Amino acid sequence: MNDSADPPAIRAEGVSKRYGSFTAVDRLDLDVRRGEVFCLLGPNGSGKTTFLRMLAGYLSPSAGILTVAGHDIVRDGLAAKRKIGYAPESVPLYGHMRVGEFLRFMARLRQVPADAAGAAVRRAAELLALGDVLMKPIRALSRGYRQRTALAQALVHDPEILILDEPTNGLDPRQIMETRALIRSLAGNHTILMSSHILSEVEKTADRAALLLEGKLLGVRPIAEGPDLETWFLSVT
Amino acid sequence: MTSLAVLFRKELHATFTSPIAYTVAAVFLLVLGYTFSLTLFATKVANLNYIFHQIYVLSILLVPVLTMRAFAEERRTDTLELLLTAPVREISIVLAKFFATMLLVLGMFAATAAYAIVLGLVGDPDWGPIYSGYLAVALHASLLVSIGLLMSTLTENQVVAAALSLGMFLMLWFADSAAYLLPRPLDLFVVNLSLIGHFKPTVTGSVFFSDVGYFVSISLLALFLASRRLAER
Repeated sequence: MNDSADPPAIRAEGVSKRYGSFTAVDRLDLDVRRGEVFCLLGPNGSGKTTFLRMLAGYLSPSAGILTVAGHDIVRDGLAAKRKIGYAPESVPLYGHMRVGEFLRFMARLRQVPADAAGAAVRRAAELLALGDVLMKPIRALSRGYRQRTALAQALVHDPEILILDEPTNGLDPRQIMETRALIRSLAGNHTILMSSHILSEVEKTADRAALLLEGKLLGVRPIAEGPDLETWFLSVT
Repeated sequence: MTSLAVLFRKELHATFTSPIAYTVAAVFLLVLGYTFSLTLFATKVANLNYIFHQIYVLSILLVPVLTMRAFAEERRTDTLELLLTAPVREISIVLAKFFATMLLVLGMFAATAAYAIVLGLVGDPDWGPIYSGYLAVALHASLLVSIGLLMSTLTENQVVAAALSLGMFLMLWFADSAAYLLPRPLDLFVVNLSLIGHFKPTVTGSVFFSDVGYFVSISLLALFLASRRLAER
């Protein structure tokens, strides 16, 4: 991990998201340091996905300031999005495309030059062990391969910041271990912000974790310090 | 510009690998071929005016089928999230879908040029109204596709998107009839929204800036609103 005096890779200042009278995220303040694996913890409906969607530029904050690699996601959205790789929880993919074709499309969309796109696709496919299915239509893939394809599209342009919403959903135990190893191997060169509600998974993957409940940030702590996450989770909630 | 080209290629691929495009094209060409043969043998008049009016009606019925999936399907399958979190402008996403759909529609229209060639071989048609007729149906299609895309941004249900488009097209078609019921100056405004009112002069060879401006400005407005709708989140 880099020196914590560095400007943060991600900064949220008083960020809220409201839908009418319902507040999904409530005045959230958070810094994610460059090169760390940071995990948002919380039960379903706690605001994790909404916060990640705001960071990725899919939703606009109702209040507050969100900066990604120094770029305000609202005022300077295109520059911020260039620094991000985002894998949504719902694993959206184009079923009619082949895996290689889809990864190439996402690489080009994320502004990888045409002559470098092939190499970018091969690198992402190698990282996620997708080499055998590059020519297969996405609609014919198993759940595990679909999840890995979704992770590969987030990585294909080698972004500074990776935003992964429940990245191990739908994977079998071996694939979970491989994904965890992949995330750990990317740390340092990439900043990774992920969400999860599986405490044991977070303990093995993240450097720091934040706990969200009903849109509010209840606390942030390094994983290596203090009591285990389960004890912390129960004491805070 | 690069993003637009990348998105356009993806849309072209999606359009031409979909059975919907081929079904719509087949129905369109079958109905027009039937009408053309019947009219030519019955009237023995060398013009395509009847065909252009048929294209006008068929476009109103078939364009909603082509545009209904555009955003509704992306929203339903969450792939819109991928597009909107990539470093591309919303207007590029809208324009890519617009150009891909227009290419299909213009391709269908281009196939009807065979009728003009037949007329040229067997008769002596007045080419002016034929050229302006193609201009009229192309402008008409541009307006319909733009509004169809706008309607598709409003919902994740394809059938609802198609029904909204068809409703809008019919309201624009019959706007001049509704205008008779309205007080001044509202009636003038509504009568000028009439689709058929701007189509008829162009298709018969009288090309006015006001008519071309009507189609172009409504198309641009609908495309702009579609991009604003995507940006509103």
